[in-house]
Amino acid sequence: MLKIWNKFSLRARLSLLYVGLLTLSICVVGIHSYWNVWHLLFYNTANHLRAQAKPVIEHWLYSKSDQGKVLPSVSESFSLAKIAKPLAYDLTSRNTVAIILDKNGKILATGKRLPEEPLPPSPNSYYYSRALAGENEVNYQTVVNNEPTLVLLIPLRATPVSRKILGVAQISTSLSPISQILFKHGMMLILVAAITLMAGGGLGFILISSALKNLRKMVNICQDISKGDLSQRVNFSYYHDEIGMLAGAFNNMVARIEAIFESQRRFVANAAHELRTPLTALQGSLEVLLRGSQDDPSAVAKLSRGMYQEVTRLIRLCEQLLGLSRLDSSSNIQKKLLNLNEFFDDFIQQAKLLALDRNVVLKKGPFVYVKADANILSQILFNLIYNAVQHTEEGGNIILGWRLVPDEVEIWVSDDGEGIAPEDIPHIFEPFYQGKSSDRKGNKGAGLGLSLVKAMVEAHSGYVEAKSQLGKGTTIKFNLPLT
Amino acid sequence: MCGMSGNADILIIEDESTIADFLRIGLSYEGYKVVIAKDGKTALDYIKEKEFDLIILDIMLPDIDGFELCQKFRNRNLSIPIIMLTAKKEVSDRVKGLDIGADDYITKPFSFEELLARIRAQLRRSGRKVENTKLYAGDIVLDLETREVTKAGELIYLTPTEFSLLELFMKHPRRVFTRETLINRVLGYNYIGETNVIDVHVSHLRDKIGDRPPHLIRTHYGVGYAFYPEC
Repeated sequence: MLKIWNKFSLRARLSLLYVGLLTLSICVVGIHSYWNVWHLLFYNTANHLRAQAKPVIEHWLYSKSDQGKVLPSVSESFSLAKIAKPLAYDLTSRNTVAIILDKNGKILATGKRLPEEPLPPSPNSYYYSRALAGENEVNYQTVVNNEPTLVLLIPLRATPVSRKILGVAQISTSLSPISQILFKHGMMLILVAAITLMAGGGLGFILISSALKNLRKMVNICQDISKGDLSQRVNFSYYHDEIGMLAGAFNNMVARIEAIFESQRRFVANAAHELRTPLTALQGSLEVLLRGSQDDPSAVAKLSRGMYQEVTRLIRLCEQLLGLSRLDSSSNIQKKLLNLNEFFDDFIQQAKLLALDRNVVLKKGPFVYVKADANILSQILFNLIYNAVQHTEEGGNIILGWRLVPDEVEIWVSDDGEGIAPEDIPHIFEPFYQGKSSDRKGNKGAGLGLSLVKAMVEAHSGYVEAKSQLGKGTTIKFNLPLT
Repeated sequence: MCGMSGNADILIIEDESTIADFLRIGLSYEGYKVVIAKDGKTALDYIKEKEFDLIILDIMLPDIDGFELCQKFRNRNLSIPIIMLTAKKEVSDRVKGLDIGADDYITKPFSFEELLARIRAQLRRSGRKVENTKLYAGDIVLDLETREVTKAGELIYLTPTEFSLLELFMKHPRRVFTRETLINRVLGYNYIGETNVIDVHVSHLRDKIGDRPPHLIRTHYGVGYAFYPEC
């Protein structure tokens, strides 16, 4: 059942639910109204008949005092059988008919004399016994000659307040007029219900459709986007309802994805571009050798040295690309509590090897533990020192160290080299970015070193900054959180 | 008239030293006179001093943009053929390069042989150094266009390999080619096998052109072969 329900569209489901609730409430109101009208008419008729019957019964059963006070029949010889006939006649009219029953349920008299007068229904023993027990208001409905008939039972008491009951008067009248009114009323109700349902259902469907129209629109746009057109956005005129909010959030998400895709695309294009130059040199050199220069030892020496350089460049590029991709999954980072003092004592030895003829100075900060992957931390520092070496003359100075700032430890590497142009500084951490000054020594990298540093620092929830002055030197520092 | 006609002067403007090196070595080997400029300023200096037959221009230069440099050459009313060299593959870059006045455009990485063909085409078109379509050696005439060889006016039927071999020899008279180089040039870089297969081709070629001692195609023992035309 639920499965079938879930197969419907949201619009169909809401519409069905709406029409169902509407039908239910109309039915409840209609049935209640119908029953109320029936009840009103039924008891109205019954009370009317009782009011008419009361003085007639009192007239025959009791004598009246001078003051109009009803007195019990004093005569001991009073017999119901005697007055039954005139009483029944008096209680019978054009559309009511009465019969009088004695204590044993025997019919003493019937009021019907004329043929147009209705036929009395035969007494019902259940209601009769209730009336005989003293119940005053016994009314019930039955069917006589296919006509609904109202039957009233009036206990006949020896005195108006006596418990002694002599017999029962049964008055009946046809309910046909009431039935007709009720039928008309019912028809009216059904008509109104049908009109209300149609109008309400139609209106509801339109309302729900218009509310869900924007959702449909979003579905179409999603389909366009999934075909690859990430520039698509949902354009609604309003954004304050839930669907509008969803559209806003959706647009933000697509914009973010588009930006990521674009940067990925640029990254791949840049990587391919970086591969192109060394590959050109390799292909060209090999071709030139094969075409005959292999017979010239000086050409062989020159070209093979160049090819070796290019292969080294390719390998470095390859390693940096791998490094970047490895950082994408955090499972490759194993953070441990690291004593910075011990770490730098180890590291400074290797840094000095890397720095060749530059002076490397370590300025130790306070004793502190950092949660970091030692391997990655030394890669960060290697990259920074390699960079510093690239941009300083021989005999230049490279200083590295750390200090504590609130909640963080700041690690820096600074040099007194050529510096970075101010317009380049905002871009140096972008992959493949190469400033104007970066190829001064003809020692071109791919421009991945600093972006790798940034990625590695960010993998440790830290951030990296660069300060530089042209001709005076560069300081690159990164902050790691203290846990 | 022997071997190649005129050695064209080529200016290479390229800052990547490895690329500049192989271009210099490779083009010199093919018989061109090559000068290398590592940046735009040097290139402009060279242009003032000397007249070149062709310029190979890299777009990414440290000082001046290659497009700008190309425009400067054209503003000086230089009609030297310029072949642009670039790693940019986008159509818009090529259109820009050609619009600015480059005569040809080649993207990295490229095959050296293709570059040679483009250089030849540019030289031919500019009419500066016309490469002969016919090569002569004594009574032997090799027609590069019809790919026919005649000896004393009589047609000689050569296989494509033999034709390439003879063409190579006649283009580079007196140059000693090793068997490896001959294989690479004639049978392609991907040939794998014995190097003495070239001996068979040379011996067939000698038979067909009626090469009697003293040979036109001489054997340098332990090295390879060289061609000595009678002139």
